[in-house]
Amino acid sequence: MSSQWSFNTKAIHSGFDRDPATGATSVPIYQTASFSYPTAGALADVFAGRKYGHVYSRISNPTVSALEARYTALESGIGAIALASGMAAISAALEALCEVGDHLVASSGLFGGTLHLLKEVLSRRGITTTLVDLSDIDAFKSAITPATKAIVVEVIGNPKLDVADLKSLAAVCHDNGIPLVVDNTLTTSFLINAKQWGADIVVNCLGKFVAGNGNTIGGIVVDTGNFDWANSRSPLIKEFSVKFGKFAFVAATRKHVVVNTGACMAPFNAYLFMMGLESLGIRVERHCDNALALALYFQNQSKITEVRYPGLPGHQQMALVQDQFDGRGGALLTIRLGSKDRAYRVMNALKMVSIAANLGDAKTLGIHVASTIYRDFTDEERHAAGVYDDLIRISVGIEAVQDIIADFEQALSGLE
Amino acid sequence: MEITINGDKATVDGVKISVSDLLKARNVDMPDMVSVEVNGTILERSEFDSTQVGDGDEVEFLYFMGGGR
Repeated sequence: MSSQWSFNTKAIHSGFDRDPATGATSVPIYQTASFSYPTAGALADVFAGRKYGHVYSRISNPTVSALEARYTALESGIGAIALASGMAAISAALEALCEVGDHLVASSGLFGGTLHLLKEVLSRRGITTTLVDLSDIDAFKSAITPATKAIVVEVIGNPKLDVADLKSLAAVCHDNGIPLVVDNTLTTSFLINAKQWGADIVVNCLGKFVAGNGNTIGGIVVDTGNFDWANSRSPLIKEFSVKFGKFAFVAATRKHVVVNTGACMAPFNAYLFMMGLESLGIRVERHCDNALALALYFQNQSKITEVRYPGLPGHQQMALVQDQFDGRGGALLTIRLGSKDRAYRVMNALKMVSIAANLGDAKTLGIHVASTIYRDFTDEERHAAGVYDDLIRISVGIEAVQDIIADFEQALSGLE
Repeated sequence: MEITINGDKATVDGVKISVSDLLKARNVDMPDMVSVEVNGTILERSEFDSTQVGDGDEVEFLYFMGGGR
């Protein structure tokens, strides 16, 4: 395996090349609960971490390990833990970093599921969060308290489509001795190597662009290797650093959190993500090209009152898009139509585009986020998250772009 | 020399050996993923080449894969 390979090569060859036992070129699916050893002592050695091996698929599994190794290579990180879903991944990362009485600073434009986790789940466990506008670096700085254990942001917010200034946020974090946790689901490691911009922990909901076909659910947590865990503010990580050095965070997340809470990834899902990774680069390029073309089309439609797309000239944070993602804006865009009724009418008239809650699928998907993902939020919280009653979120697929545009054209034609 | 590796006595050729060479000599699986403790002190990865072990030293290889703490 070469760390010098470029992204598309690593996505195909890192972590697994051929099965040494059979020569199989696709990663074998190790569909087993446990792994047996010839002696009691041999199993005890693996259990104690003295020998490399697998014990039980809740803890680790060879198919899942191949995915973890490949994903670690793609992020240029030091280790990864794959989990049952994207939400399981961000939960595990935050559970490893925080305990009762701790505090997080996060972007107010986070994905609704993550906001629910912070507001409804972690808050009941005594972990509080201050939400601030992603573009206000000073607000992040002043929200940090002695109890703060991390800053949590999405590289591109969903569905607000605001863009994180990772270098500035990493500087704020590191000045205060805390890690920067970034969710790069919308960008993937193809559009940005978050490590280079200072991120310490990267989380990705693999069921989106990595799977690429909307066929399964999964998530991953990666340690980029940037953070010095020996000086961590988190007691658990500091404790693990005594024994595991630079692997303290991955060791604590796996051996303390995931092993004991159990949201492990199924081997079959790991296989699907391995297959998805192989074509991630070319698919993301196509997603971006199609999304830009659709955004430009929408921009010229008088029935649409606002188009938001990070790759669109005029986006407030275009400079960050240029710097961090080489000008590519991802696959997600939002349009506003003046009222909920008009938004619903356009969605209901779509013939090819599916109405669905996923994103990053090969298929173009649309959703009215205010009445679905953000239905339990107040208007004030929705507006802070960039969610409005007349807004449709569109995950632009990789169909021929003229067919995507044609479907929206006929749907919009029904509006006066 | 005789080194205690993961609690077991092991005979290794020579008088001193670097941790990097010991990982190779012992055919340690996935050497990128292993943490190494020498006489109770965890080493930085950058110290693997420069740290020498010899007769009577105690070395522990630790993976973060296992089940227990």
